Parts: sequence; structure tokens; C-alpha cells
Amino acid sequence: MFYFRGCGRWVAASFTKQQFPLARLSSDSAAPRTPHFDVIVIGGGHAGTEAATAAARCGSRTLLLTHRVDTIGQMSCNPSFGGIGKGHLMREVDALDGLCSRICDQSGVHYKVLNRRKGPAVWGLRAQIDRKLYKQNMQKEVLNTPLLTVQEGAVEDLILTEPEPEHTGKCRVSGVVLVDGSTVYAESVILTTGTFLRGMIVIGLETHPAGRLGDQPSIGLAQTLEKLGFVVGRLKTGTPPRIAKESINFSILNKHTPDNPSIPFSFTNETVWIKPEDQLPCYLTHTNPKVDEIVLKNLHLNSHVKETTRGPRYCPSIESKVLRFPNRLHQVWLEPEGMDSDLIYPQGLSMTLPAELQEKMITCIRGLEKAKVIQPDGVLLLLPRMECNGAISSHHNLPLPGYGVQYDYLDPRQITPSLETHLVQRLFFAGQINGTTGYEEAAAQGVIAGINASLRVSRKPPFVVSRTEGYIGVLIDDLTTLGTSEPYRMFTSRVEFRLSLRPDNADSRLTLRGYKDAGCVSQQRYERACWMKSSLEEGISVLKSIEFSSSKWKNLIPEASISTSRSLPVRALDVLKYEEVDMDSLAKAVPEPLKKYTKCRELAERLKIEATYESVLFHQLQEIKEVQQDEALQLPKDLDYLTIRDVSLSHEVREKLHFSRPQTIGAASRIPGVTPAAIINLLRFVKTTQRRQAAMNESSKTDRYLCDADRLQEREL
Amino acid sequence: MWRGLWTLAAQAARGPRRLCTRRSSGAPAPGSGATIFALSSGQGRCGIAVIRTSGPASGHALRILTAPRDLPPARHASLRLLSDPRSGEPLDRALVLWFPGPQSFTGEDCVEFHVHGGPAVVSGVLQALGSVPGLRPAEAGEFTRRAFANGKLNLTEVEGLADLIHAETEAQRRQALRQLDGELGHLCRGWAETLTKALAHVEAYIDFGEDDNLEEGVLEQGGSTGWWGRKTPRISSQRLPSLSLSACLLSPTADIEVRALEVALGAHLRDARRGQRLRSGAHVVVTGPPNAGKSSLVNLLSRKPVSIVSPEPGTTRDVLETPVDLAGFPVLLSDTAGLREGVGPVEQEGVRRARERLEQADLILAMLDASDLASPSSCNFLATVVASVGAQSPSDSSQRLLLVLNKSDLLSPEGLGPGPDLPPHLLLSCLTGEGLDGFLEALRKELAAVCGDPSTDPPLLTRARHQHHLQGCLDALGHYKQSKDLALVAEALRVARGHLTRLTGGGGTEEILDIIFRDFCVGK
Repeated sequence: MFYFRGCGRWVAASFTKQQFPLARLSSDSAAPRTPHFDVIVIGGGHAGTEAATAAARCGSRTLLLTHRVDTIGQMSCNPSFGGIGKGHLMREVDALDGLCSRICDQSGVHYKVLNRRKGPAVWGLRAQIDRKLYKQNMQKEVLNTPLLTVQEGAVEDLILTEPEPEHTGKCRVSGVVLVDGSTVYAESVILTTGTFLRGMIVIGLETHPAGRLGDQPSIGLAQTLEKLGFVVGRLKTGTPPRIAKESINFSILNKHTPDNPSIPFSFTNETVWIKPEDQLPCYLTHTNPKVDEIVLKNLHLNSHVKETTRGPRYCPSIESKVLRFPNRLHQVWLEPEGMDSDLIYPQGLSMTLPAELQEKMITCIRGLEKAKVIQPDGVLLLLPRMECNGAISSHHNLPLPGYGVQYDYLDPRQITPSLETHLVQRLFFAGQINGTTGYEEAAAQGVIAGINASLRVSRKPPFVVSRTEGYIGVLIDDLTTLGTSEPYRMFTSRVEFRLSLRPDNADSRLTLRGYKDAGCVSQQRYERACWMKSSLEEGISVLKSIEFSSSKWKNLIPEASISTSRSLPVRALDVLKYEEVDMDSLAKAVPEPLKKYTKCRELAERLKIEATYESVLFHQLQEIKEVQQDEALQLPKDLDYLTIRDVSLSHEVREKLHFSRPQTIGAASRIPGVTPAAIINLLRFVKTTQRRQAAMNESSKTDRYLCDADRLQEREL
Repeated sequence: MWRGLWTLAAQAARGPRRLCTRRSSGAPAPGSGATIFALSSGQGRCGIAVIRTSGPASGHALRILTAPRDLPPARHASLRLLSDPRSGEPLDRALVLWFPGPQSFTGEDCVEFHVHGGPAVVSGVLQALGSVPGLRPAEAGEFTRRAFANGKLNLTEVEGLADLIHAETEAQRRQALRQLDGELGHLCRGWAETLTKALAHVEAYIDFGEDDNLEEGVLEQGGSTGWWGRKTPRISSQRLPSLSLSACLLSPTADIEVRALEVALGAHLRDARRGQRLRSGAHVVVTGPPNAGKSSLVNLLSRKPVSIVSPEPGTTRDVLETPVDLAGFPVLLSDTAGLREGVGPVEQEGVRRARERLEQADLILAMLDASDLASPSSCNFLATVVASVGAQSPSDSSQRLLLVLNKSDLLSPEGLGPGPDLPPHLLLSCLTGEGLDGFLEALRKELAAVCGDPSTDPPLLTRARHQHHLQGCLDALGHYKQSKDLALVAEALRVARGHLTRLTGGGGTEEILDIIFRDFCVGK
């Protein structure tokens, strides 16, 4: 159940659908009429919870507005977290002290690292998660976050005011209007409304508006955004029906057991909450020609598949699999939904066929011959928020829950790498609203939006993760410079510096920056990351310093396949590169000084990984530096590309730059169609402006002094 | 001393179970950007050619080429024997200058090699530099850009910079077109395609093999179906002694293709060193409507009957190339078919080739019949070819064009009759030689502009570039073979593909994702 601990602030949480009285301000203001926060987060999904808690961790008084408090932490789509690329994102979210990794370590029912044999750079931490536990643990965490207030309420509109002159943008957001007409003011607002904007649920030929029936606020907000000039696109996604556990014949299916030992998601955890032997198995089955037949025969009853709205190039539904790759057996994973859940999630069976055909198709599949399709009121009916697949109204009595969702998203080229919109100052977007798909992608954006909304309030420079620093950087850079025309999902193949940006070293990459630049990381985590970083550096230099002949190494570690034909001395670091050598065997061979590096399991494993990639990383570092040099060259934010005179740019290039508004020369050079000549022109412009600014700063110092003097006088008066 | 070390390191790298190269001790530290090199003097006949490097490995490169001598004193010309670090073969006795940063043109460590201007020497030195680890041929405008980024150019100096970069980019593009027009281009594109596909398959296996139900049988063409499921049995190298890990992971067909590519690349590189015909010189293309007198001009300029001349329109149907020396500049002169539509298939092909050649030209000699300016073919030519090149601002200088009106002997004494407004032009009579001096003077100026621009000497540099990237590709494939870690296999393929796509263009992540989603059924 929920914990209502105020943490010095007032916390509102409600189980009823009644409008709750608005949050009162903290005790220091006696009788406020309009509440005022530093940061308001709209939406309590994966992006919203991370954003709200990150802003609060950064020290901002934060309000999380959600339709219903009891849906916070709802996993509305698949009952799993992580995977390849997504697991990387989770490690990075954790490195910034985000929630989802820690909550997953408390809520999983089947932990498994994917890609174990493909190299540690592409390991994919993944777990089946108990929906109920995740929600409980997440709510506990969110409701206990200091400085964070949670309130139920639907947002009708944004309050807009005059823009700050020193920033770009038409206007500035200063608060929100709720559906009951009340207002809440804030310095920054983060929108994480998922598929909330004009969501539409499709089953067969039927469509239902998503969101609770008659939900005016979504329309008001959507209209405001449209009126402001935001470019909107439309995407689609889908979800499979759920199956009753006891109706499945597991005995004839392929059983898959979890890892032993379980690898936790969070850097702060040594282990997960549950022992491997207590975890639940997954099962594998396959489709067959009968499934193909049902899909193909009934295409005319399936409007979701036929329509032109852009779905991903990958196949989200069984229909598109059958259409694009006919005559194949497609895998169906039967995944547990939780410890005491009697539901099974058939991964790979997302579909939008008419209800009665869904069951017919499912019962063709091996092991599912007697399967009962269940309407999981625990899941779907509690879905007024639309994460992943949008919400379904409790007013609709849907016969079967496999369905598709179509929804609006805002072209992410309209936001900066700090996730603030170009058009409206202090308005941030995070999650599915930016065209992404997946819990992890949403969480990653949430953390960044929360940090930046908070930094904006305290007038500190934005916290931007570069492509060279993390998957989060790649995700946001891709979105903000290239946009997306399909639900954007993280793949490791999108990452140029994949060997450097690994799950094991996310803390070295981000925790230190998160502590110093963003202030979102706890002291304890920071100290741990510092210790790890310096131990690794020390360990690597020690391993480099130990040199023996190859024959001596061969004698010391006979199981290693060291070639003895070389006469040059071999470093311990090179020996550690061999597949069959680990820190333990090295320390056995050379106890002094290596023994101490085997005491911490994680350290020993990370040294081994560093050794594996050492020589490639050496080369990659040079490329990274080159990219960073370009990224260090900031483009002025208020540059009007369409009219600017001093720069000779073609019209096409101007329009592209105008729309994406790249913040650095590096980002500009990644926009397709921006030529090297255009880059040089921009570079020249940057240098000129820098010089002019340097000159101005000199004079403004005097101004500021004068200004301060004025203020002083005012005060004295 | 260095060579000894390097050979050892290289041998070690090729050792049977060795994962990675150990760096030779002289290698520069990473982190300050790559070191670039280029020929910085213009083409054309010259006694001395200047080759420049910029970047942290400059000093290293100088030491390697002048081994066993040490670095010369800074900013003093010193005579040194340059030799190829790979073979030890002497290349040239040259003046070298060492400019440690920040007191240099770019602000970084720079070296200048003043070598004897023959193509063999220049190309030898460029290739030797290309073989030094950490060095690569400069991209268009890179020297200037670095100088600019390091605050070495003032703002008035950079006014023309973008134009220059644009011209350089264009010149390189044209050069690349020429170079890739033909067998080598065909080879490169084929190789790049093979690598892209192989990489896409490895990436698919990494990203979707276990997470996204990458379906079994996706690679059934190769028969390696059993290894693609979520929980696959471990394939140990002991059980498959003849196949490397990469072979197990890629479908055998893709792997065999990559291996074949490696062999072909190796053979090509060994061969290329001896000599691919160097199509050196400025590319000057004569074009115009049929029967304007293009072939007459070519014959006049080359002083020999290169092309058949007849009063019949459409006599020239193919591209005829002849190397000539014009006012001291090496020029490759091309005669092309007259541009017109609606003729027989052979001539149409000639016209197609003529247009293609036009794209690659450094200088276009556009010819019109002065007595026939009002004809549809003349007007059409003026409107399309002349106007499109002329539309670029003169400072753009990406492609130069001289408009020549031939057959001035046929004009009435009052000059040109009524006709369209003409851009600047020259009058000439190939028959009588009238106006030839003026034409040659104009041509000389244009050629001086084309050849004097250091950026338009790519033939030699392009060769070094090709060699550099092909060698880079080959080296990466060597790592591909040895790697046991799939992320490293993919990295090797990425690097290899990156080198090839520098030559052929293309090469983004989207291309890879497109192949993945086309070839595999991924998704949940």
C-alpha cells in the first residue's frame, strides 16, 4: 500500500476520482492562494516518474500531476524491463540515480542477461517483472521522495507568459490549468503524456478513443500545442491479448530458466531481491501455417494493419510478421506477468484482429490449444494513462484485450538536447510524446528532462549527454537532429562508440558528471563511483606494468593458449585478454600485487572487460575526441537561420537548420543535407560571435557592477 | 629501430590467437585528433612539390620517413633522405621543415616535405605517409578548417574559405567520380555492398538475436539455422576447428564473401602499387550542340588529328580522350558527342557519355556555331548547360566554363546577328585560326586557376587516399578474422566498411537498419 510521508512537504494522493484540492505551499508561506512549484511534471508513467524524482533530487520543489495515483508505475505493455540496448539505457538511468533499475532489482521474477556470449559491450540486462510489485515499489519510492508532491488531476491547458529576453522561444510556460479550472504555477513544466494525444484504440474494424471517455483535457492540451505551432505526426503500436496461466499446457513446451546468479540492474545492488531458484521460468512456442492462414483470410477485417499510419519497420504485430515474412514459424514467448498472477503475456502475438478471431488463432498454437484469453481488469482497466499502448476506457467492455493504438507525437526536432522545446521556454517533453517506444527510452528521457527542468530553474547550464558519453546521448541526439518516422527504439547498432559505452562502465561515464553538473546523484553513489573509477585506473596501470616472457606466462597459467613463439615481453593486461584467463587466474599466478584486485567481484570483472577492449578503445578515444571538439563549438541559440545575412547558406540548408536548431557544430554536421561548406560558414559565424561576445562580456562586467550597485541602492531605500 | 619494433608488433598482431595489436612505442598518444596530410602545391609542371602534414603524429611521421635521423631543428630547412618505412626504399632527397605547434599554419604540429615534383616521387611520399599509423589523407578543406578552429586565420582571411571548401569538395567529388568510373569503382562498390550486408547481419544478430525473437532460419541460405535462437548451444572453437568464431556467427555465405573480399583486396593492393594508369591533369571537356566544331578545336589544340572532322552533324559518337600540354599545364582533353535528343541508339549512348563526362570536368569548353546561334539546338544548349554552370557565382569556382563561338569566319562584317543574350564569350575560327591567340590566353588563365588551386590535384592524392583506405579496410578485416568477441567482430567490420564508404559514399546506420528489417523478421 501507499506511504503518505510528507517529507517536510505536503503530499496528496487519492484513490477516488474526485478532484482533490490543490497542493498547498510549504510551511514558509502562510496562506497562499495559488500554489507555486519549481517544476511540474504532467504524467506519471515511466518518463514522468523519472522526471519528477530527478527534478526533486536536484533540489527542486516538484509537483507530479497524474490522472490517478494508483496507476503510477504501471507497466502497461510487456511485463519486462531491459534487453539489448535498453539494458544499456537502464544502467545509464541508474548511473544518474534514476529509479527504474533499482525498482526492477526489487520486483523481477526472472533475471537473464542476453548476449552473454557476444561480448560484454553488448550484454543486455533483462528481467521479467512482476507488474504488481513494480507498481507498489515505484509508488513507495515516488511518494517518499523528498520535495516531491503528487497530485491527481487532469491538465486542461498551459499558462503562457512573456518570454525571457535572453532565451529563444515565442513565450514561456509558467504553469498549468487543471480540468476544474484551478491553476498551478511553476518555473518549468515537463510534459510526459505518452500516447495521450488523440490516442485511438483499434480492434478489428472498431476504433475507440483512448483515454477516459469525455476526457476534455487531452483535447485542450493538444489544441494548445497545435496552436503554438508544434509539428505533430502520427504513429501506431500494439499489444497482445493475455492468456490464463492454467489454460496453457506447459509440459509440451520449451522451458527456459533464469540466470544463476542473477545480475542486478543497479550499480548499488550486489544482488536482486529473489533467489534464482525461486524465480519463474519462461516458455517458448511457435506459430504455424494455420496462424498465417487466419491472418491472411481476415485482412479485410483488420483496419490497423492496412492503414497508412507509420508503424515501425520492425514487425510489432503477428499480422505484419505473417505479411512480410510468410511461410515461417514465428516465435512466441510465454512470459509470466508476476509471482501470483494467473496471466501469461504471449510475447510476439501482438494483434488487432477482431476479437473472436484472436482466440481462434491462439488455439492453433502448440501448447495453447485450450488457451483462455483473459480480460485482465488488473491491467487494462486500470489504464487511464497511455503508456506504450495507450489506455483503454473502463467504459468500454472490450471482449478481448489484444489491440492496436494510434496516437499523435510531436516531431522531436522541435526540442533541444536538454529536451526543452524551441517554441516555448521552460517547457520540456519526455517519453513517447517524442516518438519513442519502450519503458527504458521513456525513463532515460525522463531523467534528462527532470534534471534540465531543475537546472533551468536555478539558471544553471543544461545537462546534455553527448553521443560519445552514453546511449542516452545517442537517443536524444538522433531524435533532436534527425527526428523519427517510426516509434524510435534503442539499438546498439545506432551507437558509433559501442565498445566504449558499455553497461559495465555507465557509472564512470555519467555518475561523476551527474553529481557535479546536475546534482542529481547521491553522495553515497558518487563516492562509490569514484572509488571504482580510481581502482580501475590503478588496476589497469598495474596490469600494464607487469611484464614477463610468453613462456613464463605459459608456465604460470598453463590453461591459457599463449603462443610462446614471441620473444617480446607480454604485459599482464595482454594475458587478461585471453578468453580463458580472468583476474582470479592472473592473481593466482602473480599474487603480488594482483590479489587485492580480486577482492571486489565487480572490480575484477570490470578489469577483465577493460582488458578485452583495451586496444580498440585506444583508437576509439581519438575519434571520440574529434567528435567532442565539434560538439564543443556551440551555435548561438537565437540564430535566425532563415534571415541571417552574414552567413552564406543555401535555402535548403537554412530550412533544415531552422527546423532542427542544432546546438553545436557537431550536431549540425549530422543533419542530412548540411554540407561541409555550410559547416565552415557556421564555424566562421561561431568564431565571430565568440569574439564579439568576449568583447561584450568585458563591457557587461561593468554593467553588472553598475546594476548591482543600483539594486543595492534600491534595497537601502 | 622503429621498423624493427613495428614488424614485431605486426607479426604479433597476425599471430594465430592474438586478439589485438600492441602499439609500437613511438606511436602518438590519442586524444588530440588525427594527423592529416596532403599535397599542398598545385599540379602542373613544377620543380618542387610541397606535401604538408598537420596533427600530433606529424613529428612521428617525419622521424619515420627520415629514420634514423632525429627531428630537425624547428622552422629550419634541412636536407633529409626520405625512405619508405615499409620497404626501406629511398624515395627522394628532400628539404623538410618541422613546425612544432602552436607556431604553425594550423596551430598544430606541422611538417612540410619539399620533394622533387615528379609524380612517382610525390605519390611515393604520399603513400609512405598513408602507411604511418595515425595518419590519413586530409578531407576537403581540413587544413584550413583546423587553422581556423585554432584561431590561426583572421576573419578577413576566411571570407573566401567556404567558397574554397565548396570548390575543394566539388573537386574531390569530381575526382572521385572519375576514379570510381570504371573497374576500380565497380570493385569498391561491390566490396562495400558485401561488407554492409555482412555487417547488417552481425548487427542483427547482436541487437535482435536474443531479445527480439530473431527467427530461426533467417539465414537458412547459409544453413546455420541452429545458432540463432534465444538459448543456443554454445559453439566452442574446439568443436569447429576449421571455422573462426565469426564464421559461426555470420551465415557461412556471408562469411565466405567477407573472406573472398579480403583476398581480392589484398591482391588488388599488391597490384595497385605497380600502377593503375594515372589520369593526371586538368580535365577539360569540349561540349556543344552537334556540328559546332568541337572536334576541330580538339584537333587544333592537340595539333594532331585526334577526332574525325566532317560537316555531318553527329560525327563524334564516343568520348575521345587525349593528353595534351596546354600552356605548360597537363591536360586531359575530351572530345564528346554533340548534345541532341531523338537520334539513333548509338549516338544517344554517345550523348549520355558526353553528359557524364561533363559532370567530371574541371573546365568546360562550351562551343557554339556563331552563325547558328538562333537555332533550337544552340538555344537549348545555352539554356541548359551554359546557364546551369554559369548560374554558380564566379567565386564558387566549382566548375569553370569558357563559352567559345566558332566559325567566326562565317559571320557577316557587322558581327553576331540577332540572337539570345549571350554570357561572356570568345570568338574563334578553327578554320582560319582567327581569335586563336585570344582563346589560348583565356584558356591559360582558366587552367592556371584550375591547376594552381592546391585542391585540384587529386590524382596523386586520390591514389594515396585509395591506398590508405583499402589498406585500412584490409587491416580491419584481419582483426575481424581474429576476434572472438562478437562486439569486436562487428567493430572490425564497421571500421572496414567505414574505410570503403569513404571512397564510395554512403555508409550510415540507417542503411544497416534497412537491411536488417528487410532481411529479418524482428519485433515482439
